[in-house]
Amino acid sequence: MAKTVLVVDDSASLRQVVSIALKGAGYDVLEASDGKDALSKLAGQQRVHLIISDVNMPNMDGIALVKAVKQLAQYKFTPIIMLTTESQEEKKREGQAAGAKAWVVKPFQPAQMLAAVSKLLPA
Amino acid sequence: MNLDQALQTYIEESRALLADMEAHLLRLEREPAEPDTLNALFRAAHTIKGSAGLFGLDPIVSFTHGVENLLDCLRAGEMLLSGEIVELLLRARDHMSLLIATVAEAGEAAGADLRAQGDALERALRETLGGDVAGGVPAQAPDPVIASGGGQIDGDVWQISLAFGGEVLRNGLDPISFIRHLATIGEIVAFSTHCPDMPPLAEMDPESCYLACEIGLKTGADKRAIEDVFDFMRDDCELHIMPPASLLPASLERITHARGPEDRVGDILVEAEVVTAREVDAALARQEAAGAGEARPALGEVLIHQGDAPKAAVDAALAKQREIREHKVAEARFIRVHADKLDALINLVGELVIAGASAALIARRANDAALVEASSVVSRLVEEIRDNALTLRMVEIGETFNRFHRVVRDVARELGKDIALEIRGAETELDKTVVEKIADPLTHLVRNAMDHGIEPAETRIARGKPARGTVLLSAHHDSGSIVIEVQDDGGGLNRERILRKAVERGLVAPSATLSDPEVFNLIFEPGFSTAEQVTNLSGRGVGMDVVRRNIEALRGSVEIASREGTGTTIRIRLPLTLAIIDGFLTRVGAASFVIPLDMVLECLELTAQSTAAARGRAYIDLRGEVLPFIRLREHFQQDGDAARRENVVVVHCAGRKAGLVVDELLGEHQTVIKPLGKLFQNIQGISGSTILGSGEVALILDVPSLLQRTISQEASALAALTDGAR
Repeated sequence: MAKTVLVVDDSASLRQVVSIALKGAGYDVLEASDGKDALSKLAGQQRVHLIISDVNMPNMDGIALVKAVKQLAQYKFTPIIMLTTESQEEKKREGQAAGAKAWVVKPFQPAQMLAAVSKLLPA
Repeated sequence: MNLDQALQTYIEESRALLADMEAHLLRLEREPAEPDTLNALFRAAHTIKGSAGLFGLDPIVSFTHGVENLLDCLRAGEMLLSGEIVELLLRARDHMSLLIATVAEAGEAAGADLRAQGDALERALRETLGGDVAGGVPAQAPDPVIASGGGQIDGDVWQISLAFGGEVLRNGLDPISFIRHLATIGEIVAFSTHCPDMPPLAEMDPESCYLACEIGLKTGADKRAIEDVFDFMRDDCELHIMPPASLLPASLERITHARGPEDRVGDILVEAEVVTAREVDAALARQEAAGAGEARPALGEVLIHQGDAPKAAVDAALAKQREIREHKVAEARFIRVHADKLDALINLVGELVIAGASAALIARRANDAALVEASSVVSRLVEEIRDNALTLRMVEIGETFNRFHRVVRDVARELGKDIALEIRGAETELDKTVVEKIADPLTHLVRNAMDHGIEPAETRIARGKPARGTVLLSAHHDSGSIVIEVQDDGGGLNRERILRKAVERGLVAPSATLSDPEVFNLIFEPGFSTAEQVTNLSGRGVGMDVVRRNIEALRGSVEIASREGTGTTIRIRLPLTLAIIDGFLTRVGAASFVIPLDMVLECLELTAQSTAAARGRAYIDLRGEVLPFIRLREHFQQDGDAARRENVVVVHCAGRKAGLVVDELLGEHQTVIKPLGKLFQNIQGISGSTILGSGEVALILDVPSLLQRTISQEASALAALTDGAR
């Protein structure tokens, strides 16, 4: 059965590109537009194996999402890849402290994202 | 710089390295357990191989590779050094030298027979290595991989040791997913897990990770790519990646040929892709943590200890570091100049000296004070330029002497004698041309001393001498010449046997009475050999007569001193330079003669009084000393009457003195030596010619031969006189 990846970003175009790439590599993809949306998707029926999340989002940002996910018994050990820009060192440290170890720097090529995903979750 | 020039540089560099290798090998034979020497040998072989690759000289690469392997094993202590191995390495070195020579001559490596010879040596090298290093797994490679993984670990396998951090699971990182990803960049051929930090079950935290593993990976990816797989775990794991042994030569090559300005070991290793910057940072942090001062380990040690880099690579980097640092120092002090350029310069200086003399002469004739003044300044400068230019060609004789370590060792082995070589005065300098030409005669003399001079050990012990014979090579300066001595502590020359042989050969009359030196000098006569058994060393057709001829061709002389039972000394006296000398210009009738200034002691007038006191004999009383003299006018059979005032130039050479009688003393003269034509080569007493400022030709006197003649003439006249009186 294909593994499911949850892609969380407020940019629809980014979500599309990433999801096309992931689907091409054999993953199932769920999309969410912010932290709150993401949490509701996690509460849904489909089991999620990996979360890709932007840091800056309205409503609930990425760091808060990570912290919330770590509280969910079901998703405690789920790998999370954070998307960041070079200048967000502060955020990165904060996120790592919260338990998100994998970071991909924007802008990125779809192939880079796939490589990062496959390290954590081989298809 | 084009490729040909680069190749020339390579050839020169290789020759120097081969000379080093020889010296090191000989040292190994004396003090075998010297790691520095082994390292130096390895580096030399390695550099030769590495550069050969750049020029596509594959035979050199593959042959030297075998040598390097053997040296590496010796260096790693995987094999013990023996006399046979040193012998084999010496032969291999000689073969490398031949290969290089072939390149130098033909521009390409190796013909068929050379290759056959090389193959035989290569086989021998491989056999010596035996099964000891099959595959070449680095010595530090952890055993468990082979034991539990069951996979075949060979030379292409990366050794990855990975200890996951306790937080890995909590951070959402699944160890197995990284291993799976690793499998996408290569083939995992061995895998074993171990849990060194696993607590008892009761204390175990189910959310913590206690896992560690050893992985053998076959891949074409580089170290950075492998490290990249574990990128997200970077802070949560301990990761060490040891490159496969098969990549080691390439890494070493990169280290050796690094051109970067880095002189830090870490930078060199990163540059050569042996370690990554991350590993260096980690090692630096560990080094820092270890504290300062004595306890602080070297970065290289830390890297080796952590299993990030093989020892060979760290050693190579350290060597490179030294090289870079030395280079920085040496660069400022030496430049390499082609010998031809120097020769051209010396020639020009010679012409300048002649032209300068001519200008000075014209200035004097014009009687213009200012012009004379100016030209004398020019003359002085020319003289300084001449001296400086000549010192450029001066090289230490030590380099030539050092070759004899090998000669003595090989010959001693061949003869089955125990002979040591001692060298003195290696720092004595002389003209490069002379150095090159003296090597062959010296080799012959040294071989002779060992073969005929030094007795077999039993005889030596019977005579109360140490069983080990000694050959001494020494050099020193003596009044404008260099004296080179080959001395042995052997049986000495047998006067009777030489004389008997000389009479047999018709070289001397049976009734002749000869002094010791005269008898000994007979061995330099063509076709003379007293060896009762001709060994393969002395029977090579190069006789002592050739040695003498070679030395005389260099305007030198050779003499022998020997005492039966205690040894023989052969003394070669050579002019310091073959190009330009300070001369003393004299005139006899219409002809000019130059006497080398170094040999002139003093000048005095030959008064009627002093000749009268000698009652027609050719000697004068020099402050109570008997000084034989020779009239150059008579010697060279010049027409015309003697000048009204004659002068004696007192000359000395090799501890003997004599007077040369000339008409006029013209003073010092910078003498550019021009060789005599073939026609004049056999004239006694002349060694060369020179051109004066006026364009006239002056002849350079061969003082040693004139001295010899003067002294023997006077001695025989004296003998005749005493005979007559009897």
